[in-house]
Parts: sequence; structure tokens; C-alpha cells
Amino acid sequence: MRSPPWPALSRWRRWRRGWLWLLLVALFALVRWSKGAGFADAYAVLTRPFWPGSAQREWIQSGVELEQQSKLRWLEKDNQRLRDLLDLVQSSSGVDELSAAVISRTPQGWWQQLELGKGRLHGIQPGDAVLGPGGLLGRIQSVTPITSRVRLLTSPGSQVGVWIPRTQRHGLLIGMGSRRPQMHFLDKDPQVFAGDVVSISPSSSLMPANVPVGVIQSVDYHALPAPRAAVQLIAAPEAIDWVQVQIRS
Amino acid sequence: MRRLHQQPLCVASALVVPWLTLAAPTWLTLSGVGPSWAVLWLLPWALVDGPVSGMVAGLCLGLVLDGLSLGGCSQLPALMSLGCWWGRLGRRGPPIQLSFNLGLLAWLGSCVLGLSLWLQMVWLDFANSFQIQEAWGWHTLMVQAVLTGLIAPMIVSWLLLLWRRRAPL
Repeated sequence: MRSPPWPALSRWRRWRRGWLWLLLVALFALVRWSKGAGFADAYAVLTRPFWPGSAQREWIQSGVELEQQSKLRWLEKDNQRLRDLLDLVQSSSGVDELSAAVISRTPQGWWQQLELGKGRLHGIQPGDAVLGPGGLLGRIQSVTPITSRVRLLTSPGSQVGVWIPRTQRHGLLIGMGSRRPQMHFLDKDPQVFAGDVVSISPSSSLMPANVPVGVIQSVDYHALPAPRAAVQLIAAPEAIDWVQVQIRS
Repeated sequence: MRRLHQQPLCVASALVVPWLTLAAPTWLTLSGVGPSWAVLWLLPWALVDGPVSGMVAGLCLGLVLDGLSLGGCSQLPALMSLGCWWGRLGRRGPPIQLSFNLGLLAWLGSCVLGLSLWLQMVWLDFANSFQIQEAWGWHTLMVQAVLTGLIAPMIVSWLLLLWRRRAPL
């Protein structure tokens, strides 16, 4: 057998081929270690034109909404049953909801109010709760035969009993004129953080219990006599054309 | 020529004030606060028709606007005082018609109105008065005054011209 003319070159080629294989294996190991990064991303980029369109997404969303609504209905029934067992005042069984159009709005300025297109003739009374998409907006302040005026939660003079469901600490939501009303806690140590949800107190005899109101934006722990928190409301009166009035029968 | 308050069409024009207050056009707001429509109507009326008519107009407007608001504090005292003051200005000295003067008077009027409302709110809600002062009172007062002062040269000049033709001095 004839020996190669350049044995050193041949060894170099074999050694290089081996290293190339090792590099490839290392690359695959890296892919495995990164849970498919690179491959999955490339696949996503390449197949993006074939992804399900908005119609399918809406279809899935409507299914999810339907499921959540049925869950909510079941929870409300369960909640009602438990409230009846405890014999709590202002159970939601005596409350009807009425849709009303917003015919005038001044969410900022000296008076922060909404004017609704339904009034006494439709069964609305002063003190009824007014809800928008997302939560409570305010309370009916006065009614005429076919209109009613809503005092928004942001309006000075507005006071509503609320609580933090997570910590079960109660407080008073007071309108200060600005977009964010203040929650005055009743406890010295409310154990509340930014991001906590605020809802109507379950012990409230004037408002529907557990209706969401807003989210804690910031907390002033040094305020006296008890801590205070700025609350960002969920329902925005600037953008709402229709509201729900909870009529007490 | 009959006085302004004796002309039904001119009196009926006051209905525009509560209508605009309710309509609150969003494109004419600054930071969510609209101008004081009552001041913009009352200023030319009082300048043309005198102090007594201005005060009565301020009283009527104040009553209507108080009925359209949430209550708690009233626009009535400020509007009556402004009507009387502008009426006296219109009766004494040369007629006021420069745009700058009209804008300045409207700005001052809006400041007086806002200050009166703010003081009433502070008085009624003394516990939270310091926070109201910090957060919102000054902001609403200044924004409304600036907006009213800027719009006044257009609306007040036009109304003044119209009404002076119908009821010359």
C-alpha cells in the first residue's frame, strides 16, 4: 500500500472533520438546552402568514367570554344564596338593571357629573348605583321625570364605602375633584400595595356589594390619622355612552 | 329703540348658555375643562344693558345653572356681582370694544366665578380643603379662566356688535 505524499496534511483534514462534527453536536446541545430557541422562532417567522386570522381569534374569545359569563352567573347565584343564608341587607335579588344613555357629561371641572336619558318615570331614584363597563361610576344624585343626574366617584363630596378583597380591609372612597379619588383606610396598617383591586364593601347597605371600583395606584402610609391611597378607577366616564343603573325595588 | 331686555329674541339668546353647559363640546375643552359660557354671555349683555339688567341676568343665569349642577355651591353671587360690575363699566366712560379688553374682562370674570366656587367648596368641605387646593381647585380655576379669556374676543365682540346695533346707547 502506498503511503500518502503528505501525511501531515491528511491528519489535519481528519482532525478538522472531527471538530466540525463536535461543533455541530454542541450546537444541537445548545438548541436542546435553550428549549428550541432559534428553531421555534424561525418557524414562527416563516409560518406567520398561515396563522389563524382575526375571525378565529374572535371566535375563541367569544367562547371564553361565554364560559366566563356562565361562571359569573353561577358565582352570583352562589353568592346570593350565601347572602340569603347570612340574612345580609341589600341582597341583589331586589335589584333590577336598567340601561340608560349618557346625554351630557362633565367628567372634569367644578361639578363632575353625568346626565342620563332616563329618570323617575323609568323607576330611577336618588341613591341608585350607576355602573359602566368595568365597574362603578357613581350614584344618582337627583332625578327629573325623564332624566337623572349622576355624581361621579371623582366629584368632591362623593363618599362610598369600599374594601380591598385581598386583605379584607375597609375604607372610604372620597372624591377629590381629580381623576383619582382617595381611599381613606379605617385601619392603621391596611397591608395594601399598589395594584390591589378596590371594590364596594360587602357590608354596604346603599351600594351593590363587591362591585369592582378601581385599582390602588399609590399608598401614603404616613398620612394621619390612617393611611390613604390614590385609586385609579376602572370605568372611565369620558368614554362611556351607555350605563347601567341598578334600580332598587 | 327698545332696551335689550325688552327684546324677546335677545332674552331668548340666554337659553344658549344652559344648552352649551349641558352639551359641553369636548373640542372646546382644555385638559377636560370647558369655558364659562355664562361669563361669555353675561359680559356683552351687561355692557350693553346696564348694571340692573346685568345683575338680574346674572341672577336668572345663576338660578338655572345651579339647577343643572350637582349643587353644594352656587354660581349666583359671583354672576350677580359680575353683571352689576360690567353694567357699571358699560355705563361709565368710553364704550369697551377692544378685543384685548374684552378678553381681559372675561378672564377676570371667570377668575372671580371660579374663586367664588372654590371658596364655597373649601368652606363646605373643610376636612379635605387642603387636598382640594393642591390637586384640583387651582387647576380648574386657571384652565377655565384662560379658555374663557381666549374665546371671549370672538364671541363677546360679535355679541356686543349685534346687541349694540339693536340697542344703541
